[in-house]
Amino acid sequence: MNLAEGVQIVSFIILAAAVVAAALGVVLIPSVVYAAFLLGGVFIGIAGLYLLLNASFVAAAQILIYVGAVNVLILFAIMLVNKREDFRPVKFAWARRGVTAAVCGGLFLLLGTTIITTPWAFSTATPVGDDAVYLIGEHFFSDFLLPFELASVLLLMALIGAIVLARRDFLPESALTASTENLKLPERPRELVAVAKADQPSN
Amino acid sequence: MMKFLKQVGDYAKGTVQAARYIGQGLSVTFDHMQRRPVTVQYPYEKLIPSERYRGRIHFEFDKCISCEVCVRVCPINLPVVDWEFNKAIKKKQLKHYSIDFGVCIFCGNCVEYCPTNCLSMTEEYELATYDRHELNYDNVALGRLPYKVTNDPMVTPLREFAYLPKGVMDPHDLPKGSQRPGSRPENLAADLTAAAQAAPQQDTPKQT
Amino acid sequence: MNSGIDLQGTFIRSLIDLGLSPGLAKLLWMPLPMLLMIIGATVGLLVCVWLERKISAGAQQRVGPEYVGPMGTLQPAMDGLKLIFKEDIVPGKADSVLFTLGPILVILPVFVSYLIVPFGQNLLITDVGLGVFLWISLSSIQPIGLLMSGYASNNKYALLGGLRAAAQSISYEIPLALAVLAVVMMSNSLSTIDIVQQQSGYGILGWNIWRQPVGFVIFWIAALAECERLPFDLPEAEEELVAGYQTEYSGIKFALFYIASYVNLVLSGLLVVVLYLGGWESPVPIDWLASLLNVPETNAALQVATASLGILMTLFKTYLFVFLAILLRWTLPRVRIDQLLDLGWKFLLPIGLVNLLITAGLKLSLPFAFGG
Repeated sequence: MNLAEGVQIVSFIILAAAVVAAALGVVLIPSVVYAAFLLGGVFIGIAGLYLLLNASFVAAAQILIYVGAVNVLILFAIMLVNKREDFRPVKFAWARRGVTAAVCGGLFLLLGTTIITTPWAFSTATPVGDDAVYLIGEHFFSDFLLPFELASVLLLMALIGAIVLARRDFLPESALTASTENLKLPERPRELVAVAKADQPSN
Repeated sequence: MMKFLKQVGDYAKGTVQAARYIGQGLSVTFDHMQRRPVTVQYPYEKLIPSERYRGRIHFEFDKCISCEVCVRVCPINLPVVDWEFNKAIKKKQLKHYSIDFGVCIFCGNCVEYCPTNCLSMTEEYELATYDRHELNYDNVALGRLPYKVTNDPMVTPLREFAYLPKGVMDPHDLPKGSQRPGSRPENLAADLTAAAQAAPQQDTPKQT
Repeated sequence: MNSGIDLQGTFIRSLIDLGLSPGLAKLLWMPLPMLLMIIGATVGLLVCVWLERKISAGAQQRVGPEYVGPMGTLQPAMDGLKLIFKEDIVPGKADSVLFTLGPILVILPVFVSYLIVPFGQNLLITDVGLGVFLWISLSSIQPIGLLMSGYASNNKYALLGGLRAAAQSISYEIPLALAVLAVVMMSNSLSTIDIVQQQSGYGILGWNIWRQPVGFVIFWIAALAECERLPFDLPEAEEELVAGYQTEYSGIKFALFYIASYVNLVLSGLLVVVLYLGGWESPVPIDWLASLLNVPETNAALQVATASLGILMTLFKTYLFVFLAILLRWTLPRVRIDQLLDLGWKFLLPIGLVNLLITAGLKLSLPFAFGG
């Protein structure tokens, strides 16, 4: 084992441990803000794993989209809603948690056995490295054209939906009067909220 | 369609206008960079206060007749005049006099109305202390004369803008004997008397 | 096109000649350019702070720092020392972990972004294929740090400042990316080296600014907004928000924010130069001058001269932009938050898209001038 491989293995172990620990933190820590910040840590760790797999473009895109846009929007949403509410203690909370744990554990086992039992074909082709950008582009405009366009249409729909939601004056009068009570934020709707929603898709 | 094109055109025009205004603003800022700093390096350089500067008030104890006019004209009745009637000489005798410069607004009314001119404005403005009660000057402190900026060997005295010769902007390294534009007061007075002597018939009845 | 000086190759070869194994020689080389770049960025930061103070003083007819060092050049270093020795306060009810992590997250991506800044053909840490895309994605980490410090300060001004910083940062990243995309489309590569190469050969006439004037303006405005420079310094608008997310910070943590903002300004200047002003190229191409004087390309003196002139040209153009940013700071009033977002979403974004479209069209119709 030469130096480069050693560095790779050590960084893989560190990254994997960090990702697992951060992901557990996202689920288990009761504070929402901490969970959101840890989620950013998970995304960055996964970007690091992509880097180890010679997929630098995917890694950078992961950081740009997930850390820079999605996670920031989650944090935005958390910090803009300043509603303080103490939830009533639910009866049989332990039962709910138990069921959740069982489902998650089952899913984990299922995936684990699938991964172990599948005969993985190790690709012997050399990694494309920086040429991945061209390959990804070619695939987007040939065999993956439909999913690509569908995704962009979905994002466009989300964009327009956010604008419609933010422009309150375009909503019909009846819809306003019917459900204002439970839709209303503690503050009056501001432009900032609209922006936070509107810039999600175009990132 | 035409309306939309016009809107686009107006928007573009507005953008160009905004860019031009930003350019103008930048040129103003850039122009300022070439001007000389107006900085006075304070502890080492000081401006010479003008002759009508209203600084700390000077008080002459012996001239005071304890009439308390200064107290009456003061907007907040600030001067404290402590006197006692001396029966032997049948006169008010001043014991203490004090002004609190932490409260004084330097309006100069007391100086204006003092019948014996025992109050006067000085050019002293460096009144900083560690305790505001130290600003309450008694008659001894009020009687001290301020140190002139021009006599201080540690300080380079600088003239204020209005006292510089014509066309000069920089108060540093002025040639000796350079004067500000316009005539000095004594020259003005001499001119006026000369004019009055030249034409006594018209001027004298009005003046007396 | 000659490749200029190959410092790495020479260094490694000389170490191997000394009897070290090739792997060890490479390992010894690796930290050197990184260290050099960190030192360079720090010195650039000090120069930038000094310039900011001196030029601000000039614009306001003051003198500026004067006593520490000649013309006050050591003043920024003294400021840094002062900030290091100041008490490092964590407010009582602040979240101390996030409070500490925030400034670190803000400063790290900025310094890592220097990875891709070229000062010459071989004078950069590594020619990453991703190049400018790496810079864009790294700079998107910053708002997380800002939000973190805004939240952890437990102060309403800090929270508002952090939210504003994040909103501004993610809104202006899009026009910025669109402007960069147009340049990338013309040079067929994300690598900063290739982008500069594509502009070289014709001196000042070959620079991208002539082919991308609109993109240049968009990039410059968006870069100013990303750096939170004055017309867009809402996150720390002192009249409204005390100091925004920096309100509760003092000592070395405040210094981290301060360093990050100025290093980011220099970085933006460097990237403007790389993307639009031909990077290390001089206005008159050196190769052409050398061929006029009949100096061969392999001449060692010529190579050294080219390399040092490249560094000088890059820095000169960069600081020209830093100067412009400082001048803009004292010229323009701060925009309101709605004006800021209007400018980003309703002006820069459509113009950036149109610019991209036109660039694509020109690339197809005039491939010789717009990179086929």
